[in-house]
Amino acid sequence: MLEVRGLGYRYPRATAAALDGLSLVAERGSILGLLGPNGAGKTTFISHLAGWLPVTQGEILVDGQPLSVVRRRQPTRIAVAPQEYAFYAALTVRENLECFAACARLAGERKRNRVADCLAFAQLERFADTRASDLSGGLKRRLNFALALLPEPELVLFDEPTVGVDPQSRAFLLESVQALARRGVAVVYTTHYMEEIEAIADRALIIDHGRVLREGSLPDLLAQRAARLRLHVEGMDPVVLVELLSRFGAASAQHGDAVVELGPEASPAGVLQAVEAAGGQVRQADFGRGNLGELFMALTQRSLRD
Amino acid sequence: MLRALIWKELIALSRDLHGLAALFLMPLIFIVVMSMALKDVYSPPLASLPYALDLRDDGPAAKALAARWAERRGQPLLLTRNWQAELKSGQLKYVLIIETGFGQALHELKAPEEPRLRLLAEPGMEPALFQGSVAELMAILGEARARSLATRFLGTVPSGVADLGRFVSGERFEMRQHPTSVQHNVPAWLIFGMFFVVSAMAGLFVQERDSGTLARLASLGVPNAVQITAKAVPYLLVNGVQALLMLAVGIWLMPLMGGQGLSLAGVDLAALGLMIVATSCAAVALALAVASFVRTHGQASAVGPLVNVLMAATGGIMVPTFVMPPVMQQIAAASPMNWALSGMLDVLLRGAGPQTVWPHAWPLFLFALLTLVVAALRFPRRVRA
Repeated sequence: MLEVRGLGYRYPRATAAALDGLSLVAERGSILGLLGPNGAGKTTFISHLAGWLPVTQGEILVDGQPLSVVRRRQPTRIAVAPQEYAFYAALTVRENLECFAACARLAGERKRNRVADCLAFAQLERFADTRASDLSGGLKRRLNFALALLPEPELVLFDEPTVGVDPQSRAFLLESVQALARRGVAVVYTTHYMEEIEAIADRALIIDHGRVLREGSLPDLLAQRAARLRLHVEGMDPVVLVELLSRFGAASAQHGDAVVELGPEASPAGVLQAVEAAGGQVRQADFGRGNLGELFMALTQRSLRD
Repeated sequence: MLRALIWKELIALSRDLHGLAALFLMPLIFIVVMSMALKDVYSPPLASLPYALDLRDDGPAAKALAARWAERRGQPLLLTRNWQAELKSGQLKYVLIIETGFGQALHELKAPEEPRLRLLAEPGMEPALFQGSVAELMAILGEARARSLATRFLGTVPSGVADLGRFVSGERFEMRQHPTSVQHNVPAWLIFGMFFVVSAMAGLFVQERDSGTLARLASLGVPNAVQITAKAVPYLLVNGVQALLMLAVGIWLMPLMGGQGLSLAGVDLAALGLMIVATSCAAVALALAVASFVRTHGQASAVGPLVNVLMAATGGIMVPTFVMPPVMQQIAAASPMNWALSGMLDVLLRGAGPQTVWPHAWPLFLFALLTLVVAALRFPRRVRA
């Protein structure tokens, strides 16, 4: 559905490129999680997809056609659900939907049906005649969500759609995104919440400084950290503990825990036995599943971003 | 698409009470307040100005002049001992002093060494009123002197010899009605109010850009021209409603409040409509251009009123152009508000038709076109920002 090849962009007077050869693929019916710290290039990528920035380096193809051609002929095939509440606060929920439906060139019966469908999909029927300014944060997110779906786009890009909502609304929005993918829509989902990507994404892409750092299916990405054993041990000097663990693989101390990347011959049971034999008491152990957050931090480093 | 966006703008406007108050109530209040405040500038209450008479010559000529003055300016107040203090504080507007020997000097061919008539005005008396009073005094004196000399040399006063009023005629050429403060203030503050859309639209653009709605419309493929037109049309309508409201205030409300009313009798409605449309186009296009430059709410709330007030101050809205010095009049001629006001005054005071006001209207249309081009070129940047 969407193929991005070597996309590059440098803002006027900027010293570094915002996008530097970004490549990715988004398929129909699947969710691509896009992760990156502030300044990674996510907004620039979204601006290209939305047609706000021209493609100056590389290419963006939609079903093999250049994005500019698709946007010119059928701009509503691609929808962007922005992070901001991009609707009119003075209008009611229904008035907003009707206004944006008309702007998406929907008319007559189809317009009425789409407004009704989107109200139902976002469970906003009870609030149809409420002014948008009077909605709660969660309802505003749902309205933002519904507006993006009005023209039945084939690709939807969600830009941090769950910022500032309660857990219930977040769960609802995540389920709705999954439902959308099940209907065959290609979804690109950007967020800073790793657990959301772990919960709904089929593939994930970690970018920084405009480049792809890691890309793959979620199981593959998480498997990369599957041989890591994290221990919280009492009764042992941390330096001695790390020294002991070094016999089983690359070991280090992290935030009061000891972490060891197990070598091919090592097993978690062997490590635990060795620690107990050395007088340590294992209070917590974590093994067998990777953590996207750790992978993200390892790839993008811990330095604060602008 | 365009209809939906225009409809949305009208709904949003109708629900924004503060915005409506700024657009409609503000110029309305200006018209009422300024018309009432400046009422006396256009028709000074000469007959009711408090003055005192110091009659130091008790001859018949001096008494006759005092009586003639009282006929025109009302009876004088009692001259107190501390009349100088009363004059200085403005309690007395002026004191008329008829010096000793006034009657004698009137009979002489030679002018007196010292003035025999003195008009002392309070420090704050308006220059035009002061000069007018002195001129009126000289006219009365002229009549009295003509009578006196005719009596002395001819033994009689031939009919008409001292009737100076029949020598001079002063009238406003093809005047439709007396210029009043309402006549000036209704078009002036209407124009000011119409240009107030600059602030409203600048704020609206910033709000819609910040909320991402401009970007959402762009991503839906709504052309920039449609977005701009959808903003312009509702505000052209707003300007139209403002015009009707302000004219109604001038015609019906001002007389009810004790002021002079605005009359549209003899006004060419086509010319009035032309000037309103031209002014509205200029105001809305300028609003779009300013809106396409401002980046923040702070800028929008500062730049809009600043542009408005500057144009109003230099354009003859706040102070009539005719009282400005020549340099300021030249500056005023560069303000679109001045073009609009000149045209409106031509229509309302001089009964001008569309062809006559076209020289005022086309610069406004040209200004609208140029600023619209600027807005169209800048608009895509605002969406991307």
